[in-house]
Amino acid sequence: MTEPNLRIRGLSKSFGGVKALDGVDLTVPAGQVHALLGHNGAGKSTLIKCLGGAFPPDAGTIEVGGTRHTRLSPRESIAAGVAIIFQTLSVVDSLTVAENIFLGQEWTRHGRIHRRAQEEVAAGLLQRVAASCSPRDRVGELPMGQRQLVEIAKALSRSASVLVLDEPTAALSGAESAALAERVEDLRAQGLAVVYVTHLLAEVERLADAVTVLRDGRVTHHAAVSGQTRRELVDAIVGATTPSAGHEPPLLRRHTAGTPGPYRLTVDGLSGPGFGPVDLRVAEGETVGLYGLIGSGRTRILETLFGRRRASAGTVRLGERTIRAHRPADALAAGIALVPADRRRQGLFPLLSAQDNALLPTVRPLSRHGVRALGAERRIFGALAEAVGLRPARPRLPASAFSGGNQQKLVLGRWINEARDVDVLLLDEPTQGVDVGARQEIYRVVSSLAAHRGTAVLFASSDPEEIVALADRCLIVSSGRVVGELTGTDLSEAALLSAIHDADDSRPTPNAPKPATAPDGKPDNPPPPASKGAA
Amino acid sequence: MTTATTTPAERPLPSPRTLVDGGTRTVRRHPLLLVLALMVLVFQLTTGSFLDTGNLRGIATDAATLAIVAVPLALLVISGYLDLSVGSTLALGGLVAGWLAGQQHQSPVVAVLGAVVVGAAVGAVNGILCCYLGLSAFIVTLGMLTAVRGLAQQLFPLPLSSFGPGFAWLGGSRIAGLDAPVVIAALVLVAGALFLAVTPAGRHVFAIGVNREAAYLSGINVRRTPFTLFVVTGVAAALAGAIKASVLDSVVAGTSGAGFELTVLTAVLLGGVALTGGSGSVFGVLLGVLFLGCLQNGLTLLSVPTFWQQMAQGTALVAGAALAYFGPRLNR
Repeated sequence: MTEPNLRIRGLSKSFGGVKALDGVDLTVPAGQVHALLGHNGAGKSTLIKCLGGAFPPDAGTIEVGGTRHTRLSPRESIAAGVAIIFQTLSVVDSLTVAENIFLGQEWTRHGRIHRRAQEEVAAGLLQRVAASCSPRDRVGELPMGQRQLVEIAKALSRSASVLVLDEPTAALSGAESAALAERVEDLRAQGLAVVYVTHLLAEVERLADAVTVLRDGRVTHHAAVSGQTRRELVDAIVGATTPSAGHEPPLLRRHTAGTPGPYRLTVDGLSGPGFGPVDLRVAEGETVGLYGLIGSGRTRILETLFGRRRASAGTVRLGERTIRAHRPADALAAGIALVPADRRRQGLFPLLSAQDNALLPTVRPLSRHGVRALGAERRIFGALAEAVGLRPARPRLPASAFSGGNQQKLVLGRWINEARDVDVLLLDEPTQGVDVGARQEIYRVVSSLAAHRGTAVLFASSDPEEIVALADRCLIVSSGRVVGELTGTDLSEAALLSAIHDADDSRPTPNAPKPATAPDGKPDNPPPPASKGAA
Repeated sequence: MTTATTTPAERPLPSPRTLVDGGTRTVRRHPLLLVLALMVLVFQLTTGSFLDTGNLRGIATDAATLAIVAVPLALLVISGYLDLSVGSTLALGGLVAGWLAGQQHQSPVVAVLGAVVVGAAVGAVNGILCCYLGLSAFIVTLGMLTAVRGLAQQLFPLPLSSFGPGFAWLGGSRIAGLDAPVVIAALVLVAGALFLAVTPAGRHVFAIGVNREAAYLSGINVRRTPFTLFVVTGVAAALAGAIKASVLDSVVAGTSGAGFELTVLTAVLLGGVALTGGSGSVFGVLLGVLFLGCLQNGLTLLSVPTFWQQMAQGTALVAGAALAYFGPRLNR
């Protein structure tokens, strides 16, 4: 075999003492698809970003087409022949397909863009990736799958030799995913080295020639795909060779004693654009996880319960009371709160002080005759800061000055302080962009809420480790439906991973009634387990 | 105030040291304070009459109408909106008040009430279009700037004057040694500062300006609060128009308050209110208003031609923006 298109050796990168990458090797020859697997936070994105020039690595080398680099700038990375297609595409919606492909490298004649020549070449590139759109279409009007192909065509126009696809099917429909798989096979046949980042083992089995699994920044598994069993891959991702029944998660879990409380939240047949019908129950003091990949509909379910989106059908009951939330304010008045996933856009007020951030919805209820109770605000903030372990516990420091984990504590604190107690707490990716230490503290806060105040917690996560650490019970969400449920000792990372991959196998035909653990497609949730150990 | 938990006993008298520290902190937060002091000094030294009581009284009266509109406009900008129609609303308010007092021989109270109603109506139209229908505040109020001016000229094609001694009270009478407009402006400033500091709605204004989506998801009514601010801004502009009409004893539909919207906005921005929303203070707005008032007055005393004054005003705004941008970087 000749020199591989991509050879990474001993790549390391730390962020403030935390090793995101620790001596990672990765070799991808021409005409190979190499799958990159691992949990969120295992180091996949850091690896891609070092490759794309977003971060300089601390140590190690990156060889592209035989040329060795110790660091790359984004421009050098492109020049070297690396093309990265991120989950969030970088196409410009208001431009045409051809304009996007030639963005930044326009062909000009006499100072004017040579539109016709660009469109001709673009048409050829589009044909190479078997895209059905025309060079003159506006990208914003194309479906997701076509936009992705435009981006791949753009990469080809820059004569890329290494193509990195970051969870390319996450935002695609089943049919689009199948079409993309064919395109990847074509590109492999054309001699590109493809790095394929995914969570889906089915895609690995279908497409990849070799696979590398990252865990905590290290390569834990590296092999050719032929002869791989799914079991081995799952073990490598999870990091335990024998996930026995007694496998203890990193955090002490609450053990509910005696009979479970009554249902706090009862959802029947809830539907909306892109999801449903969904039935689910959360008991008093119970923490239920919604496990699903990006685009599975978990966020939509939470947002609909919170009144951020309109439901098209279904009922939501809080205790015995049927509620209709048309706006978040309605849901909050009924006792349901949401901590959104996108903290920067939907949760935080960066310019405002920590106290303002944490007490914003509390200021009016505390006030008397339209005047704020400044003393009570200070006191409640102090107590909250101690309860959630806010660091630094400075009320007047702007929220932007806090770390991601402490920002999340401020947003969470809005709904769990002395003056503001909710019956149902919805959390969407509660520890996204949160460091490991703060993650444990947030788990502790949420667990104690459920234990001491009887709050019903429903949280969505794409991280199996988080589900196992936090949930009493987990519902598996795929294509907008609950397709399975795991409880008690059945709830392990390995079980979650295989459940989601089984669920995904059925994705190309979403209407086919073959969900993982609920044969009728409408799981009838049993009452929550009396005790974790007893199940 | 119901800051019940902080009794005087808990709060010791500030030592001279903390007073100095507090002073430097205020100056660092409002560098305009230093510039203003320097400017007053220079004008006093060059003109010799800048600090005379009569001149200060003139500055205060001029600055008063500016402050009355600048405070609610600042709140609106903090909440992430903008009102460019205040100059035209000022004209219409002055015309309606003058017409009621002078031609309809109504009492000054009725005249002022008439202006207030007109101002509230303009503000409500702005507010409905911007807050409830979600149109761009820049476009809506730019349109209203022209439309309201046109309406004023259509309704009152001829200049109005001689509003009678009753109406002159509004601009000319003295309360506790201060001119009535100055007293009204002081009340507006105090009300604005208290609103931001001690009311829940004041927090909501900041929250909406910083992150509207997050405020909505926190259950805050993200429409009603800015809508109210639009109405209040309209009322304030019309009231300022009535005061101006009373002081001058005449109003002309075509020219009254022309360009006023930009002067007010300049004062607000000089005062450190961020055009992107989410930050600002009433104290800063007061400084911005005083700065513009002193600058204009001092340059007039020095017989500097008007176009030079305009250049100075514009340069001050750009210099202020540069200071706000580079100042914090230089400190480090």
